[in-house]
Order: sequence, then structure tokens, then C-alpha cells
Amino acid sequence: MLDKSVANDVIHEAVSLGADFCDIFVEKSNLLDVVYKSSEVKNIRSGIDFGIGVRLIFGTQALYAYTNSTKREDLLSLTKKLASYYKKAPTQNIGALNFSQPVEYKNIPYVTDGSYELKDKINYLSQLDKIVREESELITQVNLGILQKETQIEVFNSEGLYATELRPYVRLTSSAISSDGLTQASGMDHPGARGGFQFIADLDLKAHGSEIARQSLVVLKAKPAPAGKLPVVIDNAFGGVIFHEACGHLLETTSVEKKASVLWDKKGELVAHENLSAVDDGTMDNEWGSLSIDDEGMETQKTQLIKNGRLENFLCDRLGHMKTGHPRTGSGRRQNYKFAPASRMRNTFIEAGNFEFNDLISSMDDGIYAKKMGGGSVNPGTGEFNFSVMEGYIVKNGKIGEAIKGATLIGRGEDVLKKISMSAKNFELATGMCGSVSGSIPTTVGQPAIKVDEILVGGQA
Amino acid sequence: MKMNQELRNVCEKIVESAKAKGAECDVILSKGNSINLSAQGGAIDKYSISGSQIVGVRVIKDQKVGLSYSESFDQGSLDTMLSQALSNSANSDVNEFEQITNLEGTHIHEDKNSLIESSMDEKVELTLKLESEVRARDKGVQAVPYNGFSEGRGESYYLNSNNCFGFESDSSMSCYTSALIKEGNESSMHYEGALGRDLSKLDIESCITESIDHARNWLGAKAIATGSYDVVFNINELKSLIGCFGSMFSAKSAWDKMNPFRDKMGQVISDTGLTLRDIPAHSLAFSHSFIDSEGTKRADLTLVENGKLVNFYHNHATANYFKTKSTGHGSRGAKGSLGVSGTHLSFDAGSESSPLNGEYLEVNSMQGLHSGASFVSGEFSFGASGYLCRDGKRVQPVKGITVAGNFYEMLKNIECIGDKVNSDTYQSFFSPVIRFSSLKVAGE
Repeated sequence: MLDKSVANDVIHEAVSLGADFCDIFVEKSNLLDVVYKSSEVKNIRSGIDFGIGVRLIFGTQALYAYTNSTKREDLLSLTKKLASYYKKAPTQNIGALNFSQPVEYKNIPYVTDGSYELKDKINYLSQLDKIVREESELITQVNLGILQKETQIEVFNSEGLYATELRPYVRLTSSAISSDGLTQASGMDHPGARGGFQFIADLDLKAHGSEIARQSLVVLKAKPAPAGKLPVVIDNAFGGVIFHEACGHLLETTSVEKKASVLWDKKGELVAHENLSAVDDGTMDNEWGSLSIDDEGMETQKTQLIKNGRLENFLCDRLGHMKTGHPRTGSGRRQNYKFAPASRMRNTFIEAGNFEFNDLISSMDDGIYAKKMGGGSVNPGTGEFNFSVMEGYIVKNGKIGEAIKGATLIGRGEDVLKKISMSAKNFELATGMCGSVSGSIPTTVGQPAIKVDEILVGGQA
Repeated sequence: MKMNQELRNVCEKIVESAKAKGAECDVILSKGNSINLSAQGGAIDKYSISGSQIVGVRVIKDQKVGLSYSESFDQGSLDTMLSQALSNSANSDVNEFEQITNLEGTHIHEDKNSLIESSMDEKVELTLKLESEVRARDKGVQAVPYNGFSEGRGESYYLNSNNCFGFESDSSMSCYTSALIKEGNESSMHYEGALGRDLSKLDIESCITESIDHARNWLGAKAIATGSYDVVFNINELKSLIGCFGSMFSAKSAWDKMNPFRDKMGQVISDTGLTLRDIPAHSLAFSHSFIDSEGTKRADLTLVENGKLVNFYHNHATANYFKTKSTGHGSRGAKGSLGVSGTHLSFDAGSESSPLNGEYLEVNSMQGLHSGASFVSGEFSFGASGYLCRDGKRVQPVKGITVAGNFYEMLKNIECIGDKVNSDTYQSFFSPVIRFSSLKVAGE
């Protein structure tokens, strides 16, 4: 996408102006977005994103610029403008850089696009719309969408690295609105994958449609959640957002390097219940958060974060490594060329435990069962996190009871990790979007059902 | 910032090509540049400069809409963009309501309040100060994790196949800082920002002192007892909260059968003391927009009058559907589809000169707004920090609580409305003190 001689010239210019390191990130993305609402196609949108990010590192300080131009003079001018801040004499002679062939690495597999025309994709949405509406007359609206993005990246750097990867993404967005004339409720699910449309074609549409309708109808009849400190069982799949918020962000060196994480100095220490082990794995076939290489051109890897409650590793990009000394983990990620890379999560999950799901429920006299979670957020500096319960139930005397709505769970990561006392065997993953310093990126969360002995439930009852 | 004729020419070429292929269309082109700085450890650790551009086209052919965009302006990319939009249109369903507006005219609004120029050294000095002053003023500060200075300039072009052209430009600079204070096992953090056009007048003192004061106050703060409390949201938090439920004024969401107020036009939906307006050219607003994304001139719009819902935001498509007129609130970015959005929301002053008598909870920080609110049902539950207050005085810092309720019910349960209107930090939202009664707080 970028003329290799231009990349070579830009990097040499940066080094000649005193940069200790320079990399160039080139991105071209093709997007297709189909919105199906009110049982008809509302919008079909496509587009091309293209841009180039240039990063110069002086010591441990990064300067970043981006542009849509591929012209040699524009990129050289941008590089000079960046380097002018430091006005430093060159410290190294990097010699000729050989960008003739990209580095080889293990390509993480993805689902193919199949041979589907646009009208076939619309037909899938039409079928799904009918399935959802047939579930109940109380369903008043169905919002569906297909989002496909195919991103080609190139990374060049002053160490002679030239790496390239094709990253296809596909996601089905689906929500159902129900109404009883007085109140409204929604149910939703957004499965996605590293891959093409075949992923959606292989979904069980009947099961998917019935599930979002069921969820919406349950919430429609739900009563306000209680308020106060209670034990909570958080189910598998998107329930993993608790670990993502309560711990995952605290392990990114982006926060660790500023001591803006409560876990910055806890490597090797017991930070969670001894039953808890957790992983961030970028190498999983077809998964939404998988990468063959990160956005710094490093081959991605599986990183054990916590083993039996002990903190083993942080998620580390190049700058994080330079500032903290922790090893790089292939975790340098960004939304697009408009962001400098930062240490970010990939597919992050709590590993399966040994309990049956019912063991967790029956261990609570009075608590909450959070079957489906919404999103959340965290302040890494204090470890204070929050996340919402989309579908929840009261638990009384070890039995699941009536549905509740409007609950948020809040706490401190350090505290709650030590209160995850039971993990079930029913491990599952789910897709999400994670927003942070380098933008919004696809990440997977996951876990088996877990029991938190006590957490603050913010309800209205 | 002056209009760039070359960029206008890009728009014109696209429109001519679309017309030649038998389609109506409109084009939105945006261009901008920015500088972002932040500091760590007494040195600049982030220095980012950017220049970006994007053009998007919406074609309508045989009453079918197609959208496409490109960040590359070479002729090949623009041709591909247009053919993709036409192909998307061919695969869409008929939409008899969405049309290219028939409003000829040229609307050029160059940014009259352009930035006061400052040198890079001045920007760097200010950024370093945002970190060093926080550290210097409180020995308990462990980190200043978020701080920075930003400066941006943007220009936006609109052209449609009925010869309506619009140009607007805008610019701003902002700064922010934070204080992470740690003592023993307790930690607390807060951040504040400021907006302006003149670096020498940016209120960094307020950013620094507010960040430290709140973080220091909340260190060791406890939750209050679970129960019902009168709540006053800090104006920035009130703006965020209303933003979560802003689609209640959207005709598009009413058309889509998602807006719970779709059948409530003319009905009382809130306390009768509440009047809410959308004022595009609000005299206290930081920036003004004069035309919407369909080329329609903007105008003031009353949404709620004495508690009664009197208007929705309309674009031309929703107006056609509901057999009314566009209110000039069409909204579309270069990448996006046509929607509606507001400009500057402003609540009218109420009659209460002492809205802060007695005990209430002042909420200064909320967490989880993006996930803890449901526009469809009105339910919300957020993590929060603030102060328990009596008679306008803060008597106890509070954190580790949730505030929950139903927003649509909350609008009906207003204890009182203050008689002075204030502005939020970014001068885009205006409101008196509104005291909501009996919201559920979960704590100890």
C-alpha cells in the first residue's frame, strides 16, 4: 500500500533527526454495513478508510502523527515537523533497510467470506427478522445489522521489520424491543468473529432470534433489582466483562507505566482468589480479538495473566516494555491509523473451574443470578469498576426466582478478585468492543459462571 | 478558517458524476487538523499531530438510498465511492420519505472566533504545568495519569444536487488534568477540563484545584446508607445523564418505534415547571452551527414547555413521514446515514431562589453511563461519587454508591428548579439547579 522506498526514506529521515526508533503503520479498510429495521433495509453503507501513522521514539517518549497522504514529500514533512520538537543529533546509523519481503509468522485462521452476494446477506436478515417477530406479538421492533470490515495493515520500522496482515471482521448486531403498552424492554446479542460472512451463515438463526426475543420478554416483566451488598453468580460468556473491567485494564502497561494501576507493583503476588486463573490469548482460531501480529508487527501470543490467584504477567507493548521492563506480549493495538499503539487486551478470560453451575446457585441463600451482562468501565488508578446486568434473577434459598431489571454492579478490582470463590465448568466466550487510550477495538471476553461472595448491587427496590 | 475552493470542487465533481448517472445526491466533506500533547514525569510523553479528510456521498435513485465514503480523494477512489453508493442504493428497499432537500442557496459561515495563535513552546509549557502543579500542590499525589492539551481546527462542506451549498468551520483548544491520590490502601482520583480559544486564558487553575480537591475529599470517603435521597447532579453530570436519554426527542426513534414518547406529543411528560429548548445560536454557547446536514437553516426549538412534550427533532425524512416540517436537526457525518440530533439544550430558569435547602446528595462524578442506561425503558443505574449536603454546604464526601431510577419517572419527580441558569464546562448545555426527589441510592 505504501511504496517501500517512501517508508525507507521516512524512517531514515526520522533517525537522521535523532529518533531512537521509528515505525510506520499503514492501514486500508473496506467496510460494509447493512442496517435492517422495521422489516426492511434501512441503510447500506460502504467505504474505504486509508491512512498512515508515523511514530518516532526519543528515549521513552513517543511522538505520533497521521495523514491520509502517501506522498513522499508529505510524509517527510510530517516527520520533520514531529522531530523538530526534540532537535536532537542522530544517535545511530541504521544502514540500508530491506523491506523486500514481509516477515513470516503463523497466520491465525479465520472463517472465509463464502460466496455470498449482498442480496443473500439481506435475505439472512429478513429471515431473522421474521423469526424474532414470530416469537411474540409483544415484539414491536427488531433492529438487525451486518457489519463487515476487511483491514489490510503494513508495519515498517527502523529495526528493518516489514510485516503485513489481512484482518477480516464480521459481526451480526441484533436487538428486539418489546412493549406491553406501558413499558418497553430490549434484548440483544451481537456475535462476531475474525472472518467473513460464512460465520453468520453458519449461525443457528432460529436459536439466535428466539434468544433475543426471550431476553426482551423476560426483561419486560422483570421487577426492579434490589439495592445493597449481595452475593452474585455471574454466568459465562459476556459475564467475563467483570474480569475485563476489574482486572484486565489494570494489567495493561499503558496504566502500569504511570503507576496508574493498583496492580502496577504486584507481579508475583496473590491478587485474586486461589481458585482463579486468567489468560489473554491473541492466538485463538477465528476469535474476534485474535491477531496474527499486533499493530507493532510483533507475533501475538497467549499470555497467562493470573495463575491460581497469583499475578504472572502484564500486557505489554513496545513503549510499555521500555518504561517498565516487562516483556512484550504482542499486545500493541489501536482502533486505526489515527491512534498510536498501546497495550490492550485481545481474547481475555477466566479459565474453567471444577464446579457444576448448580453448585454456585445452591450455595446462595439470598443473592442475584446475573445471566446476561451489559458493558462496563473501570478507573485503573483506583480499581473502581462498574458494569450493568441486562438479564438477572433473584436467588432465594439456593433457587433461581423472579427476573429483575435495572441493576449495576460496582466494586474495586482488588477486592472483587479475592471474592471470586467458585468457578463452574461451563466456559464460553463472547464478543465486545473495548474503548481506551488507543480507541475502540474488537476484544473477546469470557469465563465460566463464577460466584462473587459479595458485591454492591445498585438497584431501585 | 476560510473556505477552500479546491475542496468545494471535489464536492461538485461528485455531484456532477452522480447526476450523470441519474441519481440525486448530497455530499459531506470534512477536513481537520489537530495537536495533542500530554506529560509524564516532567517531560512530554505524547506529542501527536494530525491531518485528516473524508468525503461521503448519499445517493437516491428510484427512491432507494445508498451510502459510501472515502478518505482518499484521488479520482479513482472517488469513482469507486460513487459506484459503491449506487450499488448499495440498488440493493436497498424503497424509501419514499428520504429525499434530497430542494433548498437552493449558499450558506458560508467561517469561524469568526478563530484561535489566538500560540507557539509550540507555550503549548508544551502549559502541558508540563498541568502535570507538575498537581504533583507539587499535594504530596499524596501518586500519579497524574490523565493530562493534556489539545488544539483542533475543522471545516465542513455540504453540497447537494439541487444546488444547496454550505460551509462551516470551527476551532477550539482544551486542556485537562487529573490527580490520583494514594494513602495506605486508599486511593482516589478525579479529573477536570477547560475549553477556550486563547491559551493564555485557559482556566488551568480550575482544572488543577478541582482535580486535587475532589480526589483529596474522596480519599477515605465512605458510602452512605442505602435509601432514597434528593439528588442534585453537577451540571456536567446532568448533561451526560440527559445525553443517555436524548433520543426521547428524536422523531427518527419515534418512527423506528423505539421512542417510548412516540405517542405522547402534546401530553405532560414531566414536572410542569420544566421547559427545555434547543437553541443552536445560544448566546453563551462556545460554537454555533447555522445549517444542518441536509442544508436546512437551524432555528430554536422548544421540546418541552411547562412539562408538555411539544416537539421532536426532525430531518426532512422524518418530517415527510410525520407530515410536518423539518426543524433543521438533520444529522449526518461523512461516513454515516441520515439521523437527527440536537445542538445546545437549555432548561429555562425556575422560580426557586434557594433550591439547596435541607439535605440532598450532590453527584459530581458518575461511572458506567454507556452501559447503565436504557433509553428504551428509561431505567438507569450508575456508580457515583459526590457529597452529602445540607443547606448548600457539603457535609460528607461520598463514594462507592450507585444512583438508580427511571429517567422518565425522574422528570416527573422534581422537588424544585433554581432561578439561575448556568453553563457546563464546554458551554454546550445550560441549566439551573434541578433537584430530583427520592432517587434510590445503594451504599452501606
